[in-house]
Amino acid sequence: MIVDFSLIIDSIPKMLTGLSLTLQLLFVSAFLGTILAIILLLMRISGRWYLQWPAVVYIYIFRGTPILVQIFIIYHGLPQFEFIRTSIFWPILREPYGCAILALSLNTGAYVSEILRGGILGVPRGLHEAGSALGLSVRQRFIYITTPIAVRLAIPAYSNDIVSLMKATALASTITLLDMMGIARTIVADTFAPYEVFISLAVIYMILTLIIQKSFGWFERYMSRYLKKEA
Amino acid sequence: MEELSGWGDDFFWGSVVVAQVFIVSLFLMVLFGLIGAGAKLSKNRIANNIAAAYTVIFRGVPEILVLLLLYFGAAIALTNIVQIFDPNIKFLDIPPFWVGSFGIALVVGAYATETFRGAFLGVDPGQIEAARALGISSFKTFIYIQIPEMWRLALPAFGNHMLSLIKDTALISIIGLNETLFVAEQATATTGKPFTMFIVVGLIYLSFSTIITLTVMGLEKYANKHLEHGR
Amino acid sequence: MTINEGQPIIVLENVAKFFGKFQALKNINLTVAKGEKVVVCGPSGSGKSTMIRCINRLEEHNSGRIIVNGNELTESEKDIDAVRREVGMVFQSFNLFPHLKVVDNLMLAPRLVRNTPKPEAREIAMKFLTRVRIADQADKYPAQLSGGQQQRVAIARALCMNPEIMLFDEPTSALDPEMISEVLDVMTDLAEEGMTMIVVTHEMGFARSVADKVVFMDQGEIVEMNPPVEFFESPKSERTRLFLSQILTH
Repeated sequence: MIVDFSLIIDSIPKMLTGLSLTLQLLFVSAFLGTILAIILLLMRISGRWYLQWPAVVYIYIFRGTPILVQIFIIYHGLPQFEFIRTSIFWPILREPYGCAILALSLNTGAYVSEILRGGILGVPRGLHEAGSALGLSVRQRFIYITTPIAVRLAIPAYSNDIVSLMKATALASTITLLDMMGIARTIVADTFAPYEVFISLAVIYMILTLIIQKSFGWFERYMSRYLKKEA
Repeated sequence: MEELSGWGDDFFWGSVVVAQVFIVSLFLMVLFGLIGAGAKLSKNRIANNIAAAYTVIFRGVPEILVLLLLYFGAAIALTNIVQIFDPNIKFLDIPPFWVGSFGIALVVGAYATETFRGAFLGVDPGQIEAARALGISSFKTFIYIQIPEMWRLALPAFGNHMLSLIKDTALISIIGLNETLFVAEQATATTGKPFTMFIVVGLIYLSFSTIITLTVMGLEKYANKHLEHGR
Repeated sequence: MTINEGQPIIVLENVAKFFGKFQALKNINLTVAKGEKVVVCGPSGSGKSTMIRCINRLEEHNSGRIIVNGNELTESEKDIDAVRREVGMVFQSFNLFPHLKVVDNLMLAPRLVRNTPKPEAREIAMKFLTRVRIADQADKYPAQLSGGQQQRVAIARALCMNPEIMLFDEPTSALDPEMISEVLDVMTDLAEEGMTMIVVTHEMGFARSVADKVVFMDQGEIVEMNPPVEFFESPKSERTRLFLSQILTH
């Protein structure tokens, strides 16, 4: 088999024009998804059943179905209803871009919420007791003791989830968006050279993954600085 | 719901395909995970490096890209080979079922590699020492002490891997597998009811996820029965 | 091979052991006669655990000779397993197999190593469980027992292989104070039955009443070795005196 290097050199800059869209999908969805996750988390630990149950059901549904199905329901499915097409959200839901952001945010919110909950459950009980013994209120304990420790504990899993989210952005290409994956697919459709194009793209995605992991690794070390023994 | 009439059969057979892909890929995923973990734990540097590359690549690249690369890549490779024998063949169609099952197993197997490795290292070294001190051979120690402990440790993450597999089956529709998402697209084209059709797909996947979750919960209860404080 | 009372069953000659550059054992010479009870004590990091772990080759010594029950410990895996069958070991952290019921913990080695049929293995297991006074817990899992009970199970598990020698590596240091005596009682019974024992412990009461000789180790060396009366009443070395004053005053 002959590898067409000129095609690789040609296609990489073309695919990189989709990088900005890939990164937008990633950052906007990560941001919105994390806010959603915090809301879901607060609902779950609120101790009120009418807040807990909706959060549990939401998380269960979004973690129990494929992200591709969620994207299709939002992009292909919602326009079935007249009231959606006449609503104020229609300008967002009409566009594949808006649908992709919405689907990715809703999906990642469910996962991140569970990750944050894991962090909170990982905070040793003794620290709560120490906090209450010192006379801190429930709210004070949550803000000054639980949160900083829970965040540190949640970083590795959160980092993995952001990588998963980055990988999921490639599914936006299934609803006509020209992110890096979408551009690669059009190049392959034209040239029918899947090896050159797709392997080059795989390398680009791996570099992105590496950058995400390194950044979170640095952040985790920063958050864990108090665990280091003095040299 | 009357628009669903006539499509029940297709959704049923689509679900059967999902279940078949799941079973085949589950088997392959365990195989890849065990081989990967074995290679990571071995003292052989080459095996270490190959396993490390395997996990870095398949955890850092979008699943859809892996599937497209395998599908088109295998098609081209096989076509080239077949053309040596029969130049009249223009293009060889590859069964998406096998490529898809293989592809998602390869991806999830990379995650399983880490799970199995962690479980292996998680077995208390004191257990192994105690067995060796009783004169039990290292092979029998592995079979009777390490494996039963390992599977208990690996089970929660393994349950997540199974959920990933079932959800990833939806991606195989992209390379033309006739499963539920594919059925929904066809049904939408005839009925003009995309929301209904994709929601049905969502419910099918939610049922599969529920079955897997309940099974894993049962297995965990069984595996952890020795840790309960009974009286 | 039969060995008469009073003949050496364990011999360590000039044994040395390194962990990387750190020398954990220096020039260890120790002879234990059949039926003898030896208590080993010393500060943490003194090499006492390492020494007894060398006797069943959980650690490999780097130089010198170790002869157990007539077999010299070498590379050969076959010989090691033969020695291990004759040497029972009890660990500080019990190391019971958590996924097996108590009785199955006891039956595992006889079945796997000696191919004892199941009913017979069960009979042996119950006999030793009765001896450590815990037969009523046979069908529980280790996690459901107290620390003292777990350690008695661990002793019974080792006894099921009918060892000639029993090694105890700080068997009571992971236990709550109120559970220590139940374990020491079982060990005292065992000593009275004539078992050859090497016990790493800081339980000086046990050493006084049971030991034939007490070995004091520090920094990888045997500093002093004497019968208990002499050891406690007139310790010769300054290091031993210091250690005894620390351990007996608190």
